[in-house]
Parts: sequence; C-alpha cells; structure tokens
Amino acid sequence: MQRRAFRAMGTEIELFLDAPNGDAALVEAEAEFHRLEKLLSRFRSDSELSRLNRDGAIDASADLVKVTQLALRARERTGGRFDPTVHEALVAAGYDRSFELLSQDDGQSRAARCGGTVRVCEHHVEIEPGFKLDFGGIGKGYAAERAATMLGAVGPCLVNAGGDVAVRAGAWPVGVQTCSGTLTLELSAGALATSGRDRRRWRREGRELHHLIDPTTGTSADGDLLRVTVVGNDAIDAEVWAKALFLVGADAAEAEANALGLPCVLSTTDGRTTTAGGLQ
Amino acid sequence: MTSHLGRLYALAIAILVFFLTWTAVAAQPWAATPQADPRLKALAAREQRVRMESVAVNRIVRQRWAVYRKQLASRQAQIAAAKHAQLAAAAAPSVRVVTLPPLTVTRTS
Repeated sequence: MQRRAFRAMGTEIELFLDAPNGDAALVEAEAEFHRLEKLLSRFRSDSELSRLNRDGAIDASADLVKVTQLALRARERTGGRFDPTVHEALVAAGYDRSFELLSQDDGQSRAARCGGTVRVCEHHVEIEPGFKLDFGGIGKGYAAERAATMLGAVGPCLVNAGGDVAVRAGAWPVGVQTCSGTLTLELSAGALATSGRDRRRWRREGRELHHLIDPTTGTSADGDLLRVTVVGNDAIDAEVWAKALFLVGADAAEAEANALGLPCVLSTTDGRTTTAGGLQ
Repeated sequence: MTSHLGRLYALAIAILVFFLTWTAVAAQPWAATPQADPRLKALAAREQRVRMESVAVNRIVRQRWAVYRKQLASRQAQIAAAKHAQLAAAAAPSVRVVTLPPLTVTRTS
C-alpha cells in the first residue's frame, strides 16, 4: 500500500494506492490536483475561474466547461439548494480569501443574491452580470474523481480530498466523524463526502458564519445539522447531496435520504447522530 | 345703363335659381331610403355571430390551455422526481458500517 499526502485546493489531500510500482501514478495524480487548482480556484487571480468571474464570459477549457455543467446540473437536481453562483454571498459573508488567511472576527457581513443565470454553449461560458462562480466544493470532488480514475488504472485506490473521498476497487474503511466518535464505513466503489459547519467558520459582528451558503437567504445556512456525510456514485454527487441535505435540517434530510435511498450520516448540533438512506 | 344692369342682375338671379332648383331635384328628397341588401344584413349578422363564437372558443381554449399547463407541470415534476430517484438510487453504491479502524477519515471539507 502506497500513500502520498500533500496540500492542494486549500486542504489536505491523501492518495492511497494498493499496487506495486505506483509512484509515477501517484505523482501524476498529485500533478492533476495542482493543475485543476490552477483552473478552478477562486483565490488565484490567474486561474481560469477568476478570469471568467472577472470578464463574465470566456471561451473556457474543457475542464472548466465540464465542472460548470456538472454544477448547473446539480443545481437543477437539488432544486437550487446546490448553487455555483454563491460566490458573492461567500465574499459578502467575509470568506473573501483563502481560509488560512481569513481573520476570525473582523469587519461586517451581509447577504448577497444567489441563483444567477449561467450559460454554457460548447466552450463558451457566460455568467449573468452581478454574479460569480465558486467551485470550492465541487472542484475538489471533480479533482478527486479525476485522480481516482488515474490511479484506478494502476490498482485499487482511495483519494481523500479534504473529506471528498473517491475509491476504485478494493474495500476501504473510511472514518466518519460523529458526535460520539468515529463511525467506520467500508466503501468498495463510489465515493462519500462530508459537509458541515464545524470547520471553515468565522465570526462577523458577533455572529458565527460558515461556508455553507443557503441560496435562498444568501448567507450562511441556519439549521440543526452540524455535519452531513453522504455516500454517492461519485465524489461530485456525494458533495452535492451533502450540501443539499445540510441545508434542509435533520428531519427533512433524513426523510429525503430515505426517499432517495441515499446512504448518509447526519450529526446534529445538539449531539445526535443518525444514519439514513439504508445505511446500517 | 340702369336697365342694362337690371337685366344683368336678373340673369344672374335666374341662373342661381336654376342651379338651386337643379340641386334640389337631383337630391330626390321625395325618394324613399333604399332598402339594405338582405345579403349584407345576413352577412353582418353572421359576422356578429362568428365574433361571439370566437370569444367563447378563445375562453374555452384559454381554460383548457391552463389546465394542460398545470397537468404538464405536474407530470414533468413527477418525471423529474422519478429520474431524481433513479439517479440517486444509481448513485448509492453498497456501503456498510464496519468495526475496523479507519484508513482515513472524511471530515468537513
């Protein structure tokens, strides 16, 4: 078993590969993370995403087009709960720079409108004036899937991109933080992702804010959930549904996960942990 | 001179009276108002009836269109929900809770 850990996309990345002589594949997978970060980071002024956000419309690379399409499809599937146009709401809430550089209690916050129109026509991407895109979560899921596909060609593998976990073949025990400890899920295919308000949070005017924006209010979501982990067919799907379930609160999330057959672990702010969607 | 001028006036008045008479006779005030063509009357009545019918038909079409749109939206929502459920079902690979120590941990990204 080979392991490679590094930092990219503002988080810790871990690659596990169960194959002999997998060094080259691990190096390539790491390079893929850095390449995608250069394209998709909103914190790098030279990224393709920043150029799109600045100019409003560009002829984009295949990866940016793909991620945009995935994000728009996710917005449609979740009824707008997952929204790539939350960029201005994140900035208005105070998350205007890489999280490591964010001051914990400084300045003011406000809400901002979400739900902007985004058009993709072949390689041309255009955003409605007044809106910008943020691919913070889905970008990590996309990168995790890309890396897992690259490593999967060499052998069974697991990619953990700061909580977005994608696996190919094998049986991988993955820990999920709960209110009472760690629950281990054995994942043999697909992915899982966690979204929550227990990290990436800060204070503005005495109020605790976090990075999960409710597009209906344009500010950090309120609710009784602390953290949601969802198992999906791929890391993008898991990431999207983790966010979407987080926004509706524990009871509605449990009901929706059961209705959709979406295995998930829900941890609430009052210390309860529930599994749903057929996860036992 | 006076007699000549008088004749001239008399002639002018005679001409004026002649033309006035002509105009009055040409107007045929004694003639009855001509009867409207019955075909035109029937056509006007038919036009009126068709206008009323078109208003009624438009109202029915609008009502049916509204019902259709409502049913279509409902059907599309059902289809979307079914697709959604299919996708979600397909998106849930087998996973189980085990008691093994984890190799890695997922946490809020």
